[in-house]
Amino acid sequence: MAVEVESALERFHSLKLTDIMPRFETMPVVTTDSDLLNVLKILRTRHHVWVVDSRENMKLVGVIRYMDVIDVLLPPEAYRFKLGMTSKTMRSMLGGATKAEDVAERHVLTVEEDATVLDALMKMRKYRIQVLAVVKDGKLVGEVSLRLLIDELLRLLRVGGTQWKA
Amino acid sequence: MESVTWLLFALGLSLILAKIGDSIIERYELPGVLGELLMGMILGNLVYFGIVGPQYLPIVSGEAFTTDMTVVANFLAKLGIIFLLFLGALDADLEQLKKTGLTATVSTVLGVFVPLILGWFALMEMGYPSREAFAGGVLLTATSIGLTVRVMMDLGVLKSEVGAASLSASVMDDFLGIALVIFAVGTGSLIELSVKIIAFFLITGVIWWFLVDYYIKFAERLHVEKGILGAVLGMTFLFAALAEGWFAAAIEGAFMMGLVLSKLPEGKRIMEDVKAIGYGLFIPFFFVHTGAMLNLTVFENANALILAAVLTVVAVFGKVIGRGIGAWITAWGRGRDFLFTKKNFQMSLQMGIGSVPRTEVALVDLMVAIHGGAISPEHAPEFIAATLIFITVSVLITPPLLKWAFREEIETTRAQKASAKVERIENTKKRIKELKGAQ
Repeated sequence: MAVEVESALERFHSLKLTDIMPRFETMPVVTTDSDLLNVLKILRTRHHVWVVDSRENMKLVGVIRYMDVIDVLLPPEAYRFKLGMTSKTMRSMLGGATKAEDVAERHVLTVEEDATVLDALMKMRKYRIQVLAVVKDGKLVGEVSLRLLIDELLRLLRVGGTQWKA
Repeated sequence: MESVTWLLFALGLSLILAKIGDSIIERYELPGVLGELLMGMILGNLVYFGIVGPQYLPIVSGEAFTTDMTVVANFLAKLGIIFLLFLGALDADLEQLKKTGLTATVSTVLGVFVPLILGWFALMEMGYPSREAFAGGVLLTATSIGLTVRVMMDLGVLKSEVGAASLSASVMDDFLGIALVIFAVGTGSLIELSVKIIAFFLITGVIWWFLVDYYIKFAERLHVEKGILGAVLGMTFLFAALAEGWFAAAIEGAFMMGLVLSKLPEGKRIMEDVKAIGYGLFIPFFFVHTGAMLNLTVFENANALILAAVLTVVAVFGKVIGRGIGAWITAWGRGRDFLFTKKNFQMSLQMGIGSVPRTEVALVDLMVAIHGGAISPEHAPEFIAATLIFITVSVLITPPLLKWAFREEIETTRAQKASAKVERIENTKKRIKELKGAQ
């Protein structure tokens, strides 16, 4: 069993992200002008929402994560007057945020399309993050999340036998 | 050995009191930094008034009190400034700056230079040397947008045209306020200084802008615990050292590093780590240390109060006039017909009033000016007292002034909310009637 797990992990690490990414249509994607309430509806069941400039271009603009909802929902008086903390203050709905672009974190950690699972895992560990955008020339082409990686490993262990030992 | 014990004691006490002071003042919806300064002032004056021996609280500076431990305390406070400016720049939204329109740009420039020039000339009239007077003017340049954002949010006007322009303008005037202090502390001929400034911005801004990506990738490949954080802080201190060596203003290096790093997602991700170190240790200590520099005996002499009065008046009116006129002359991009309308005057006044509060950057500039020799040790106590007074006044008067300036918008919002409430009640009544009818 231990040998099987080891082999599965070896294969798992070298997998290309393009081979395991979910179908694009199933990804949570909104455009910059999407209503914030629609974003919140998506976040009831998803851990993040990607924000793109338009459905045609798919240029990645930002991401709204589950935890960002805290900043969205807090009243203005919950924020502190501190240099270096102003950007979070601006995400409050009561402060006037109405669209996805108002609350999106614009600096998204990404991996290139041809990266492997190991590359993605290394990046996730370094920045303590659970999901990465997969991009090609700045355009969103997919995503890789820890949940997806777990599923993929379990799939390998379940369906794999000796065929990947070579 | 004993002196180290008391330095650790002072550091511990400062941090605990800073957080308590911060918490108390924030409850009154005022910037917590005032609480940290107040706690510092209390600690410092326990020493100045001879209640506690200086060896027990080695955070008090000044010729009579300087020891090895106060030198260490000074350095820790300086690290606080470096962390503060680094975080401020790292949090900056460069996209916001790109969107800055003509109104925000013109009003920023006038909002910075009017108080600077008024302050400079006023202090020279009072007999301060030109360099010191210029440094005094620089203290008045940077707005603290945090308070304005909070008050505008409370009033529901942050997303208005004035709110958006105020935000962009304040990001820019922080940059200018931080950059201008170089001219106050820089030495040598103007040409020499200009060459150094250009070289500095070329190295830390332009070249580093292209190299930072590779540097982060290099740090990622080190595969060590907090390797990226260490590499980033290391480079920040190298930049700070360069700026300290060239202009006696380490903050410029920290600020540039933060600014360049803010374009990368990796930079934003390490922000929480930097905040933990900065706001958990060095930054509150810097504010307590600054507060401790205010020796209340300075008020025995009227000079400090006169200087405080002059700086307060110039700080408030200089900003309102400078930024207000800057906004007014652009007519908010609506053409010449809008120039002399009541609405233009009103919006421009709102823009001006939103720029009144000053806090962190004024204190940072003050410390840089004192340590860089732009403000002489003889006049430093007066400047510290005056700066703390104008900061406090500017912070206290801004909320009521903004409420007054936005009174029409507040009334409109209130009326809209009331009418929406009436409509909701009517709809509910109608629905109940329908349901009763159906039964």
